[in-house]
Amino acid sequence: METEDDLCNNNWGSSSSKSREPGLSDGGNQTFAGFASQQKWEDASILDYEMGVEPSLQVFDEMKASGQANVDFLQGVRAQAWDPRTMLSNLSFMEQKIHQLQDLVHLLVGRGGQLQGRQDELAAQQQQLITTDLTSIIIQLISTAGSLLPSVKHNMSTAPGPYTGQPGSALFPYAREANNVASQSQNNNNCGAQEFDLPKPVVVDERESHVVEEHEMKDEDDAEEGENLLPGSYEILQLEKEEILAPHTHFCTICGKGFKRDANLRMHMRGHGDEYKTAAALAKPNKESVPGSEPMLIKRYSCPFLGCKRNKEHKKFQPLKTILCVKNHYKRTHCDKSFTCSRCHTKKFSVIADLKTHEKHCGKNKWLCSCGTTFSRKDKLFGHIALFQGHTPAIPLEETKPSASTSTQRGSSDGGNNNQGMVGFNLGSASNANQETAQPGMMDGKISFDESFSPMNFDTCNFGGFHEFPRLMFDDSESSFQMLIANACGFSPRNVGESVSDTSL
Amino acid sequence: MSMSPSILSVLSEDLLVRVYEFLDPPCRKTWRLISKDFLRVDSLSRTTIRILRVEFLPTLLFKYPNLSSLDLSVCPKLDDDVVLRLALDGTVSTLGIKSLNLSRSTAVRARGLETLARMCHALERVDVSHCWGFGDREAAALSSAVGLRELKMDKCLSLSDVGLARIVVGCSNLNKISLKWCMEISDLGIDLLCKMCKGLKSLDVSYLKITNDSIRSIALLLKLEVLDMVSCPLIDDAGLQFLENGSPSLQEVDVTRCERVSLSGLISIVRGHPDIQLLKASHCVSEVSGSFLQYIKALKHLKTIWIDGAHVSDSSLVTLSSSCRSLVEIGLSRCVDVTDIGMMGFARNCLNLKTLNLACCGFVTDVAISAVAQSCRNLETLKLESCHLITEKGLQSLGCYSKLLQELDLTDCYGVNDRGLEYISKCSNLQRLKLGLCTNISDKGIFHIGSKCSKLLELDLYRCAGFGDDGLAALSRGCKSLNRLILSYCCELTDTGVEQIRQLELLSHLELRGLKNITGVGLAAIACGCKKLGYLDLKLCENIDDSGFWALAYFSKNLRQINLCNCSVSDTALCMLMSNLSRVQDVDLVHLSRVTVEGFEFALRACCNRLKKLKLLAPLRFLLSSELLETLHARGCRIRWD
Repeated sequence: METEDDLCNNNWGSSSSKSREPGLSDGGNQTFAGFASQQKWEDASILDYEMGVEPSLQVFDEMKASGQANVDFLQGVRAQAWDPRTMLSNLSFMEQKIHQLQDLVHLLVGRGGQLQGRQDELAAQQQQLITTDLTSIIIQLISTAGSLLPSVKHNMSTAPGPYTGQPGSALFPYAREANNVASQSQNNNNCGAQEFDLPKPVVVDERESHVVEEHEMKDEDDAEEGENLLPGSYEILQLEKEEILAPHTHFCTICGKGFKRDANLRMHMRGHGDEYKTAAALAKPNKESVPGSEPMLIKRYSCPFLGCKRNKEHKKFQPLKTILCVKNHYKRTHCDKSFTCSRCHTKKFSVIADLKTHEKHCGKNKWLCSCGTTFSRKDKLFGHIALFQGHTPAIPLEETKPSASTSTQRGSSDGGNNNQGMVGFNLGSASNANQETAQPGMMDGKISFDESFSPMNFDTCNFGGFHEFPRLMFDDSESSFQMLIANACGFSPRNVGESVSDTSL
Repeated sequence: MSMSPSILSVLSEDLLVRVYEFLDPPCRKTWRLISKDFLRVDSLSRTTIRILRVEFLPTLLFKYPNLSSLDLSVCPKLDDDVVLRLALDGTVSTLGIKSLNLSRSTAVRARGLETLARMCHALERVDVSHCWGFGDREAAALSSAVGLRELKMDKCLSLSDVGLARIVVGCSNLNKISLKWCMEISDLGIDLLCKMCKGLKSLDVSYLKITNDSIRSIALLLKLEVLDMVSCPLIDDAGLQFLENGSPSLQEVDVTRCERVSLSGLISIVRGHPDIQLLKASHCVSEVSGSFLQYIKALKHLKTIWIDGAHVSDSSLVTLSSSCRSLVEIGLSRCVDVTDIGMMGFARNCLNLKTLNLACCGFVTDVAISAVAQSCRNLETLKLESCHLITEKGLQSLGCYSKLLQELDLTDCYGVNDRGLEYISKCSNLQRLKLGLCTNISDKGIFHIGSKCSKLLELDLYRCAGFGDDGLAALSRGCKSLNRLILSYCCELTDTGVEQIRQLELLSHLELRGLKNITGVGLAAIACGCKKLGYLDLKLCENIDDSGFWALAYFSKNLRQINLCNCSVSDTALCMLMSNLSRVQDVDLVHLSRVTVEGFEFALRACCNRLKKLKLLAPLRFLLSSELLETLHARGCRIRWD
């Protein structure tokens, strides 16, 4: 006990020595003051153990408001994990920007005296220019501060929160905490929007805006089961349902247009002025703020759906690796499957990309199981059959037996028949599906280009994603074409019924 | 006559059943004609039946309620409709049938098979071999027979992995399955089979295009005892290595003509299974090396080994025999290095030998044969085809010592003469004798065979031009149990001799190809006498006139297969034949100079519901009506256009 306490105190001591700077906020002091007392009851558990204490909004606000000082403080706290030099370069970059802006305003003021009688139009232009610059500085500031926040929270969380006094606080009920976190993240968004008073709410990269939701594992069983990652070796973030399902996550600060991915936003920004065409503006913000040398804590994500295995409160919690994983997982598992395949009218998907993938192969799945599942490959079907007792391959259609003399003539039409039969079978139980359902599906398919790009947000090197664009186009058109063929075949529900009864033999 | 009822009345029914059980099939036929009681015993005791005519199927099934085995393989006109009608017939009980032979029943398709599977709940064994129409749909229908244990699907050409999967999922109790020549079956099917049917004991994957992956799956079968993979071109030694540590119960392996298998593959099998009893590796190993013999030595239970086509030195043959003394059967055909010295050493060691194949071993002489005959007194089968150095001396020892000899193949041994035949005739148990191309034998030699070999079942005299009518007469008098007789190209034969064949009442297979001297008279006599005739080859018998064919049409009701190529049959005779021969299934009708297109059309229309195989001249394809061809196809008949 003693040694642990000492260790902690030492840690703290060393970091606090650095952090004794003029701008040290009261909130910081508070946390510091409470720290030692917390150790007293926490030391029984593993040292690494940290409490996901509800952060006080006050602290957060202070951090944002007090700018550099706050950042310095954070740096001090995370001295072992952070490279202050990077931070310094970021700050000097911002400083430069501010100076530039200052010069510009000076210039405008000077010129403004000369051109007093000019039109309002010019004034508006000037105003916009400045606003734009200011916005970029603010964004820079937020991203710099934001990149720190998870780690800040990491340490801050050990600070005494509302529960500090409770002796059993190591075993806080999860649900309660989840709720807290939820409400808090909501607050974060709001405060972000209010504080900066931008034309549109600025939603920065999720990674940065929701860092506060960091959470550590508490249950000791879970800690042991924590797969390869040791508890505490990674931090757990949890997005809210609304955020997961939001169509856009990146918004233009000038015109407010939303984008699925940051890269698209940056491309878009070029249209707003030459300053967005510089290499610095076009570069990935991540690379700027987080150089590769920096040892980052691994981030893992939790699904907000209670009871889900991907939810952090699940006994055998398995974290999700990326935000993309979160999105896809949430949509696939906890959302309605609203996208129906336009070809088979049977398969439904909640993720558009899944529908695309399916439509690429739909109709080519000639390997059918008695359970109705279709496979594009025979070995997959046989693997499925070997796995599930009682499943057998279905035999699609009564093959028409062309006579020897007419077989050559009927070759092509036979092919058509088979195709039709295939479609009929795929329909299976959903024989009531009709063309009406197909239409929206197609529409969705067209709308969804942006969505299918979403991975780009999170990939590190994702410009390869653009290659998908023409392919998707092609596939889309192909799928609609094939749908037409299916229609042209003119099979009726009656046929479908027949084919089904055939296979059930 | 007055006494007999009293004696028989003493015998209770169960005693009669005991007596009945000792009778062989021909006697049982007599038995049931004796009295109503005997008939009753027969109808209650009979468990197996082979139906020749589908018309009698319901009656016979009704008469024999305790049947467990039903053979429909030679039953023409059997199709789905027959089966469905049978199912609707309430009087017929098929619940006890465990074994069903549907070989070559090409007209029975999915509907019929499903009905049969439903009717026969207790079904355990099914043979659907050579049903070329048997495909996935049929397999699915058959899979409803969940109790199936043995399934033979040889040459079910349309069967694919999907069909096999249906069967293995439905009938997971299978312990014996044959997939020979099911060319569509791939690794996936075999893999699933091995996963689902863990109790498999016997598996035949001969001629399949399967790879080593299949062997890997097969090696997981713990109960597998018999594995046949003849001529699997894609399997190599690496595949056989899986067997070294797998399939621990393996007792019999056949890798004949697997091109890529070499000695090292065999060694891995042998190393893993010291209890192996049968090893057939013909035409895949080039040489029997010392290392292989080292491993063979460990096989104390080896009974059968086939290493045909390999270079086997005399010393290795002796080594082999000295370690595997329980050897019962050895195949050494085309082992050209084998000489008398090797064979003598071999014969000294393997006293229990029953089957010896020395075909095309050109250096083997009388000395070797004598040694084998003297040492291996249990010899039952001896194949000496194309051993040109064999003379009467070797045959003399056979006649003296090999009293149990049942099968002797002397095809193309031109050292065999009348004296030799005289010696052979002392092997009184001889059942199968092949003397094809032995041109040095005459009536005198044949006379010895005919007078002494009364148990002869098969006799092949192909192109033995040296004997004539007298010899044939002697054969017909003596060898009453002959059921297979080949007299093709024995040019000396005339009507006088051929007429004598009528005495062979059990004859079912007769080849008279190229006998220019016989006419309608001879054929009429044969048709009249040999009621059991099922196969008749009259190709190139140009002098047989319509009278012979009329007689054939009238008498030979059991004829199943007939070859009339180059015969001078007329339109009317052909129509008569085809319409009257109600069991005919396989017909060769090439080069019939006197038959017109209309004649073919009518004749084929008359028999289109029972034909399974047909050979015609190619131009007829466009001359015959498409309606007829469609019907033939629909009924499961395959036409070969020559």
